[in-house]
Amino acid sequence: MIARVTSPSAPVATTGYPWPIETAQLANGLRVVVSEDRTAPVVCVNLWYDVGSRHEPPGQTGFAHLFEHLMFEGSQHVKKTEHMKLVQGNGGSLNATTNPDRTNYFETMPSEHLELALWLEADRMGGLVPALTQETLDNQREVVKNERRQRYENVPYGDAWLRLLPLLYPQGHPYHHATIGSMEDLNAAALETFQAFHQQYYAPNNAVLTVVGDTTPAEVFALAEKYFGAIATVPGIPAAPDGTLPTPATEAVREAVTAKVPAPRIYLSHRTYPFGTAGYDAVTVLATVLGNGRGSRLYQRLADGSRIAQPDYIGAYGVDLAHAPAPLIITATAKDGVGIDALEAGLTEVVQSLIDEPVTPDELNRAKALLTTAWWRGVSTVGGRADLLGRYATQFGDPATAADRLPKWLAVTADDVTEAAAHVLRPESRVTLTYVPGEPS
Amino acid sequence: MTLVTTRPGTGAARPYAFPAVRRVTAHGGTVIAAHLPGQILASALLLLDAGAARETDGREGTATVLAKSLEEGTRKRDSAAYALALESLGAELSPGVDWDTFRVGVSAPGPLLADAMRLAAEAARTPKLDPADVARVRDDEVTALRMDWAQPGPRADATLRADLFGDDGRYSRPLHGDPTSVAAVTVDDVLAFHEAWLRRPGVLLVAGDLDALDLAALAEAAFDGTSGDPLEQAGPLGVRLPPRRRTILVDRPDSVQSTLRLGHRAPERATPDYVPMTLAATVLGGAFTSRLNHLIREVKGYTYGIRGSYAMTRRSGRFEVAAGVQTAVTAPAIRDTLGEIARTQREGVTEAELEVARSWRAGQLSVEMQTPGAIAGALATLVVHGLPDDYYETLRREYLEATVEQVSKAAAEHLAVDGLTLVVEGDGAAIREELTEFGDLIDSDI
Repeated sequence: MIARVTSPSAPVATTGYPWPIETAQLANGLRVVVSEDRTAPVVCVNLWYDVGSRHEPPGQTGFAHLFEHLMFEGSQHVKKTEHMKLVQGNGGSLNATTNPDRTNYFETMPSEHLELALWLEADRMGGLVPALTQETLDNQREVVKNERRQRYENVPYGDAWLRLLPLLYPQGHPYHHATIGSMEDLNAAALETFQAFHQQYYAPNNAVLTVVGDTTPAEVFALAEKYFGAIATVPGIPAAPDGTLPTPATEAVREAVTAKVPAPRIYLSHRTYPFGTAGYDAVTVLATVLGNGRGSRLYQRLADGSRIAQPDYIGAYGVDLAHAPAPLIITATAKDGVGIDALEAGLTEVVQSLIDEPVTPDELNRAKALLTTAWWRGVSTVGGRADLLGRYATQFGDPATAADRLPKWLAVTADDVTEAAAHVLRPESRVTLTYVPGEPS
Repeated sequence: MTLVTTRPGTGAARPYAFPAVRRVTAHGGTVIAAHLPGQILASALLLLDAGAARETDGREGTATVLAKSLEEGTRKRDSAAYALALESLGAELSPGVDWDTFRVGVSAPGPLLADAMRLAAEAARTPKLDPADVARVRDDEVTALRMDWAQPGPRADATLRADLFGDDGRYSRPLHGDPTSVAAVTVDDVLAFHEAWLRRPGVLLVAGDLDALDLAALAEAAFDGTSGDPLEQAGPLGVRLPPRRRTILVDRPDSVQSTLRLGHRAPERATPDYVPMTLAATVLGGAFTSRLNHLIREVKGYTYGIRGSYAMTRRSGRFEVAAGVQTAVTAPAIRDTLGEIARTQREGVTEAELEVARSWRAGQLSVEMQTPGAIAGALATLVVHGLPDDYYETLRREYLEATVEQVSKAAAEHLAVDGLTLVVEGDGAAIREELTEFGDLIDSDI
């Protein structure tokens, strides 16, 4: 099937994934997804492990992410530093990320090195624990603490996400704490905890292996069996705490921060719906109407219209989390001479307009066109496609359902957006985080 | 059953090829297009010889203010109507300025690219530039720069640049200016910059499925109504190194990290040593397993990451090491960094290290050039530096054939550990005293 696009109105797509997808499952439970594309001599190997910071018990915040670092420090047949050397030294790009939902690992390689990438991933899935040392843990603990300093502590407004999560999600909720964790918990991390963490969660039956690019399904399935087939199933992997919440919250909360920041800034946030639901599709379109691009309501009314907000620092976006109602974040930063109260009044008025003023056909068309381009940009690399398929296989059980997301966005109506706005954007469910310049108290 | 103990070998490699390039000259300009069969998105990039180097002294940031003013309405429609028209195609304008060029880029699904390009050209060629709008954009840009400069990095970057290129006019100031120079930009400066440089044809770069794109229509959109001949290019600035190392402190009270920017001048992009220099920098500080990242991050745990690289433009070049290190280990981190630079300069590289660098740089030419945007950027490099259409095949071969002797020689000639300027942005109260171990210490006035 080929995506159909018509000019000059908004593109109409019948599928968001016009490439083949084949799947298989090994006896040990590892699911394997392959999407062949011979366009370029490159291949991406991607692993989604269904473990994230939502699985962390109290006192162990930041452990899933610190563990991700340890996965690059050698395994049973791969010496310390060898993993990076073998991937980059054969022309590849690699990385890994951890978020509240999951941990992913991926490398894009010239396709003649597909087998090497699979061997490396299998070795650290099945043989990490024997290579894990106290020295490695101590070193990567310091690296992660520097990551925390660099990304959250040493930049103005850098701690906004760390502050928003506990305001959005109650104590004990799997999204209550941030993935980076606290310095206290990181300092207390013991080697045995990480050995147990790997044995518990890094199991073939808790992972999806996706390969996209210059290969065939038959080749990948055979290689997956060869390299991953011997890894034992782990029975009884415990689920993360239940993330179900009454949506939306019933009591507004706010936090006012005085800090070394260059201008007043506001973050408004609401819990919405889990990623993957019809409600969240409507929120995705809503966020684009509200805060994406110069034609958005926020830009038109606050940066261009009343000119109280800085044009470079205004926007709205959803954070695509699937295991509980996902947050929508709306932000604006004051122009010179504009106070925090005037900014908040202006911002809340525009947010309220999504409930009171119907979204026009032009606004809806614009939002869908921007989402369409963003979608195709996301799948324009083998790496983008592999991560997408891994996500849908892990979170929804079927990678082929990735093809439905774009058509579902394009099917959202103005009424759907208004209905979602009325449900999730109520002032009484709002989290308000404000920053004003000054000496921290 | 157990894990497979031996590392697998390499499969059969497919030959590398850069996408087929097609050239069309029409409507007074040239289109250079790369064919990406099956790509749903397409990119167009209008490249104009109007980089920051063409700005007037004291008005650095003029081109950036112009870039940000282009969408404040055109002669045909106001800013709201323009935003709606462009974004309804799924396109967003990305105007940008670097040292050599002014770029106006746009991406959209292939069938919509021509309409998006017409709108991009409308903004680039015939913006309204109402004086009140330009003044407001200028003021917003001053505020945006102050926001940016509140983060660690920009002040250190500006300090290093001022020290390395102090005698070279525009090159001594930041690419996008600083809050003071942008505040001094007048509406007339912006109008004059547009009149002088943005009405010339330039070159249009296109990447996408060419079977579905009309290059003549894109040429008409990009070049209609333009005039002017190609401009003459000034020569390279040259490499001058100071007689001895010095340290400049940029005070950032209470900073929990020190931001390091250690650098010296280097040759411009046209240097015949480009390939061995790039490989030497990859061994020193480019790859994850580089000497610097290995020692400072993986052994010592001082940083989240450290990079060493050459940055080169048509007229200038510089070597730089950049990192954020925990405040308490600022001096040890600098000491170890200088040690690795000195070792690389003195002893060169090993075959084992070079093998990683060669294969990585060569492989990245396919791995990192998959999207229309990346391919359009690669075409821009060809135009700016006058390189042939088969350049990337040649570059790949040169990477793979570079020898230890060539790369070690480049390290010896183009690294200068004793001529470095060490810029440290951090908590002066905590680190000032220990920085004196590295020689003359002065305070930045930026």
